[in-house]
Amino acid sequence: MEDSKKREQSGSTHKIGIYLWIWGLLFVLSFFSYLVDWYQFQGMLRWSLILFFMFLKAGLIMAFFMHLYWERYALVNVLLWPMTAIVCFICLMIAEGKYTLFSRLFYFFVGG
Amino acid sequence: MSDPNIEGFELEKGFKGMAKDTGSDQTMFKGVHWGKAMMWIFLLSDTFVFSCFLIAYMKGRSSTPAEWPNPSEVFALDAFGVPVPLLLIALMTFVLITSSGTMALAVKYGYEKNRKMCGYLILATALGGLTFVGMQAYEWSKLIHEGVRPWSNPFGAAQFGSFFFMITGFHGTHVSIGVIFLFIYCYKVFAGHYDKGKRGWFTKMKGDYVEVEILGLYWHFVDLVWVFIFAFFYLW
Amino acid sequence: MSDEHENKSGYQAQSSETIHAQSSEAITGSGSGIAPDMDYVRPAELPEQDLYHPHSFIEKWVFCQDAKVIGVQYFLTAVFTGIVGLILSWLMRLQLGFPGLAGFITAEHYYQFVTMHGMIMVVYFLTALFLGGFGNYLIPLMVGARDMVFPYVNMLSFWMFFVAVVVLMASFFVPGGPTGAGWTLYPPQTILEGTPGHGWGILLMLISLSLFVIGFTMGGLNYMITILQARTRGMTLMRMPLTVWGIFTATVLAMLAFPALLVSSIMMTLDKLLGTSFFMPTILKAGEVLEYGGGSPILFQHLFWFFGHPEVYIVALPAFGIVSDLISVHARKNIFGYRMMVWAIVGIGALSFFVWAHHMYVSGMNPWFGFFFASTTLIIAVPTAMKVYNWILTLWRGNIRINTVMLWCLGFIVTFVNGGITGIFLGNVSVDVPLSDTYFVVAHFHMVMGIAPLMVIMGAIYHWFPLVAGKMLNEKLGKWHFWITFLGAYSIYFPMHYLGFIGVPRRYYEMYDSPYMTSGVGLNEFISTAAFIVGAAQLFLVFNIIKTMKTGKKAEQNPWKANSLEWYTSTVPPEHGNFGDRLPVVHRWPYDYNVPGAEQDYLPQTAAPSEVAHTEVEKT
Repeated sequence: MEDSKKREQSGSTHKIGIYLWIWGLLFVLSFFSYLVDWYQFQGMLRWSLILFFMFLKAGLIMAFFMHLYWERYALVNVLLWPMTAIVCFICLMIAEGKYTLFSRLFYFFVGG
Repeated sequence: MSDPNIEGFELEKGFKGMAKDTGSDQTMFKGVHWGKAMMWIFLLSDTFVFSCFLIAYMKGRSSTPAEWPNPSEVFALDAFGVPVPLLLIALMTFVLITSSGTMALAVKYGYEKNRKMCGYLILATALGGLTFVGMQAYEWSKLIHEGVRPWSNPFGAAQFGSFFFMITGFHGTHVSIGVIFLFIYCYKVFAGHYDKGKRGWFTKMKGDYVEVEILGLYWHFVDLVWVFIFAFFYLW
Repeated sequence: MSDEHENKSGYQAQSSETIHAQSSEAITGSGSGIAPDMDYVRPAELPEQDLYHPHSFIEKWVFCQDAKVIGVQYFLTAVFTGIVGLILSWLMRLQLGFPGLAGFITAEHYYQFVTMHGMIMVVYFLTALFLGGFGNYLIPLMVGARDMVFPYVNMLSFWMFFVAVVVLMASFFVPGGPTGAGWTLYPPQTILEGTPGHGWGILLMLISLSLFVIGFTMGGLNYMITILQARTRGMTLMRMPLTVWGIFTATVLAMLAFPALLVSSIMMTLDKLLGTSFFMPTILKAGEVLEYGGGSPILFQHLFWFFGHPEVYIVALPAFGIVSDLISVHARKNIFGYRMMVWAIVGIGALSFFVWAHHMYVSGMNPWFGFFFASTTLIIAVPTAMKVYNWILTLWRGNIRINTVMLWCLGFIVTFVNGGITGIFLGNVSVDVPLSDTYFVVAHFHMVMGIAPLMVIMGAIYHWFPLVAGKMLNEKLGKWHFWITFLGAYSIYFPMHYLGFIGVPRRYYEMYDSPYMTSGVGLNEFISTAAFIVGAAQLFLVFNIIKTMKTGKKAEQNPWKANSLEWYTSTVPPEHGNFGDRLPVVHRWPYDYNVPGAEQDYLPQTAAPSEVAHTEVEKT
């Protein structure tokens, strides 16, 4: 609100260094995830690397660029807990996707 | 950044602090501007939108019996006669992350009431966003030229084109809206609306630099979504 | 009574002055030696909200930014759609009970009526009424705010909803008529030839739904942030009336569930317009393979029900909350297990995201899902049952006033228990499979999310009408309205359970002379007759409102002697800004009824501890 003056005094704006650091890290991580494709890693290695870099980048953006790291815990929790519903949805849809493919192959190509 | 110094309500870390905040009167997110809280909740809702898109994509891709095109080849770009996989996508990622960084700095300078720096950085962000949209338009036209359509494509499963155009289109729409707002806010910053607390014509609310942060949240979110699209659509 | 109210505001002013003194002491730290003031409430964190006051008729009544006016606008628009839905249900019952009597109802029309009735009632009537109508009106008043936090966005929210309704209603007049795909809009048949309204009808429906979601998102953000960030001094989350808790949790669900609806609408629009195949598998039609292929229809069902199941609770939770308040006020007793009630609401809300595929047991999804979804579905029965017990325990040994409001509440409890128990049948895979797509299901969901919330809406109308309009609704007419509706609704839906058990399938235009109908035909006539009567009985309310507005007795301030803040506004009906010069300061929960030692049988939320020190009131 109107208390940005107080904010300055309390030092809750952050040093420019932290932003530059995160910025640099994001470039490096993006480069690494690009390398995953460049070297054509396959299988589980590819998956785990993709997901690792993805979550790391997402985490950095949320934590520092979106200031979630400095926010109060109440806000952080309100934002992150609903993701469990999405996680559940993803897990079930992985199973569902496999089952749909199975039943298609089974009934259409094998013929039941 | 929330203001840690609410009168009579000091910040406590961790779950204990959360319990204290939640159990208190008036506000649950202490020191968080209404607009910022609203943007956060909106982004949560929007996260569900993109999650649903990506889940649908995952389900569609994993259950189609037809061959899924190899994105590494489809999105390759000729550089000096050599096909480089995902070159354009890498550049787009670079541009978007750059703009995200400038936005973060703009927010910082906004809070320091550094009008000029804030304005220039927002301008840079807007230009970055514009570049991104332009590159996406180029990517789309290239793919359309190669015969990729929402309903079919020459490389394999028809759903490839459908999901590609829908998801990147929806993301691109978000970027475009963001760019429009960045230009508006750039004007407002340079015109000093946030220093003077001038009321916005739309909502009649008093201007404040916190609005730069709110816009920043949106812009970082767009970047965030791109991280997921990059991983799931282009690398998978 | 008015004296009493002035007294109250007198107390309020006094206590807030002591607070001012106290808070300045606390800040300077000079008062450390003095015993802490028992009336101390933290000073305001935020400056007063600056409201944009209307300057013209249009700004005051049409494009209004006052949440109360927006609430009434939402209410009226939703009631309008509800009446359309009611008429459609009449037409359906006309066909089912007396086939061939109304020649103009063809099979295509019947399916269109079914579809539009379902969609209108669930989304455009109940959701908009509870969240848009009651939410807008009650949230700022009940949490002690001047208005919603973003009045302008709130206004846009209503007008977006209005456009959505216009688009929806337009689909009645386009070539081909509205969509007749069933309210769940399952592809592939939804957008294929042969389904009524597969052209314009379905398109308008999808566009309307998308608009509704966008409009609702704007409103929902407002409700959430108002409740989280704009409560008055002393109003902790655990001092909020359960109405606010119910609406709040429902809004959270809506914010997280509507995205799935938006996504599925967009994808289906693309399937329809561009010929993509998100949901469209390879289809043989009359020996020819269609252009579509490779898509996944079951994906739509998952997306739809990821929205659809929370949607059930989006409708039910505000009803739970409102009915808790009504029961407490009219039984003159504190709500039993307030915290348990809150956690039950939150728990139901959270669980509702993990149960969606219990609507899909017979859809051909991964068969293992049955285990997961049956378990989570049955777990939801636990918090729901807790709520029912708590309502009954609230009534137990209460000073119950059998007025119209209380009748509706009792009707709700009975109906809800009924619908809930049939839900336990349907939650089990092995029982659901034979009952799927029969009238048992129709009876179940109409009981649990049709009639039960409707009872609450009616109770709420009788309860809050004095606040909104400043006049008391007629009790006698109200009781007639209740008894005919209640008995009539049971006459409609109780026999449907039986029809379901003997296997009558739902969504059939006509049973012809199938074996089901040998015992069902008389029942269908009976059900239809009851449906006509119940629908017509709603005219009691219309008549009651007209009569009250003309000749009704003027309501005193706080006619029900309730505690929550909406009855302690500066004027009745409340003006823009709600509370006059000074926002109320809250010291307790809104359920202090019949406190031993108190002069009256209620203590308003604003009663300061020092005023009630002689009573045995507990700290809340």
